[in-house]
Amino acid sequence: MAENEKKATFYKTYEVFSRKNDKSHAQHQFSLLAPNEEIALAMAQENFMRREDVIDVWVVARDNIRKMTSEERKQWTKRLDNKDYRNTKGYGYLRKKWREKEQEMLDEKEILSWKEVARK
Amino acid sequence: MYNYIEHGKGATAVSTHQEDPEKYAEFMERIEAGEKIEADDWMPDEYRQTLIKLISMHGISEIMGALPEKEWVPKAPSLKRKLGIMAKVQDEMGHGQLLLRVAEDLMAPYGKDREDIMQDLLRGDLKFHNVFHMATKSWADAGLIGWLVDGAAIITQTNMLDASYGPYQRALQRICAEEVFHAQHGEAIIMALAEGTEEQKAMLQDALNRWWPALLMFFGPPTAETTGSSKQEATIKYRIRKSTNEGLRQAYLDKYLPRIFSLGLTVPDETIHYDEEKKKWIYQQPDWNEFKQIISNNGPRSQARLRLRKIAHENSAWVREALATPVVTA
Repeated sequence: MAENEKKATFYKTYEVFSRKNDKSHAQHQFSLLAPNEEIALAMAQENFMRREDVIDVWVVARDNIRKMTSEERKQWTKRLDNKDYRNTKGYGYLRKKWREKEQEMLDEKEILSWKEVARK
Repeated sequence: MYNYIEHGKGATAVSTHQEDPEKYAEFMERIEAGEKIEADDWMPDEYRQTLIKLISMHGISEIMGALPEKEWVPKAPSLKRKLGIMAKVQDEMGHGQLLLRVAEDLMAPYGKDREDIMQDLLRGDLKFHNVFHMATKSWADAGLIGWLVDGAAIITQTNMLDASYGPYQRALQRICAEEVFHAQHGEAIIMALAEGTEEQKAMLQDALNRWWPALLMFFGPPTAETTGSSKQEATIKYRIRKSTNEGLRQAYLDKYLPRIFSLGLTVPDETIHYDEEKKKWIYQQPDWNEFKQIISNNGPRSQARLRLRKIAHENSAWVREALATPVVTA
């Protein structure tokens, strides 16, 4: 029995996340077994980042993650079919209206391009 | 990578799930709709056990597969080749780690873990792939493993890229991407030899002659009758893979035989030809009794490689012990 307990404490499961660049979100890579966080971090680099660009790595003991259960995934991840009021789908007519007023539509593509705005 | 799954010894059948016809129907409906099953989802025991056998063999074969190639790291003909083969060996170990994680999560309900996988391997209960029981005699063998052994692995692994089991399928996406590097690394070695001196060409042909039966065996026997057992039906029924052993072998011959011939190489089978009517390759069957012997750890290098794995496992035991968190008992 003591042997079993000892075994369990060596092989601990860590989940590995990493970020490719400053703009990317952390992405789950996979899991690995390690006896502690430091070794988990070193192994994460050896296991998952041999070629890929990476600027940050997170390791999290699996026990510390509250993920959805199988049942919760089934229930909570199903979207209501009418979510139009939360997105721009209902505002399509604006383009025509602005055109009548000889203005361009400020759509997502246009707005996100303003990081390059020239005016200083 | 592994296509031949035996019944019999290995992960023992422990029924922890009450089989439930309603849940089973829902499960089948999900996988038939292309949904992915996750580790904590309900699954039939047959599905779990088929996956454990397949994935633990696949994982351990990646690890055992690093051994024949690592023999050529110190003997590689240039620094560039040495680095290439080192990277490949490390990739194979990485693939082994990924796959063992997938297998371990599936085995958890049976109270089994990595140590059990290693012990099963060393005891001979867990088989590893037939090709990794073979000797790597020359530098041409090292190239041939990258080109034709990894080529065969690519055929079988890409066939499972849509597998119904989410974690396995995710591991395979990464593995297949890295196999592309392995294949081209092998092709570069082969190309240099095929366009080299007469001696180099002869070395390459000799390697192919020796490896040919093992390459045909790679995909497993065409039917269960050939060797008495095969689980290909279960893996197809549960949408783990799409094609039969023979279907994969034919796809492999389709893709690789024209390339083999284009390099001026031959295969040691004078009868091999494409039957236009039947739309398939007609070839001489390898000796399936020999195959059974090989995967029962009676192949040319089986015992030597198992011994190497055993020594490595034993020599690093003190590291595992030293790093294990002390168990605090009240």
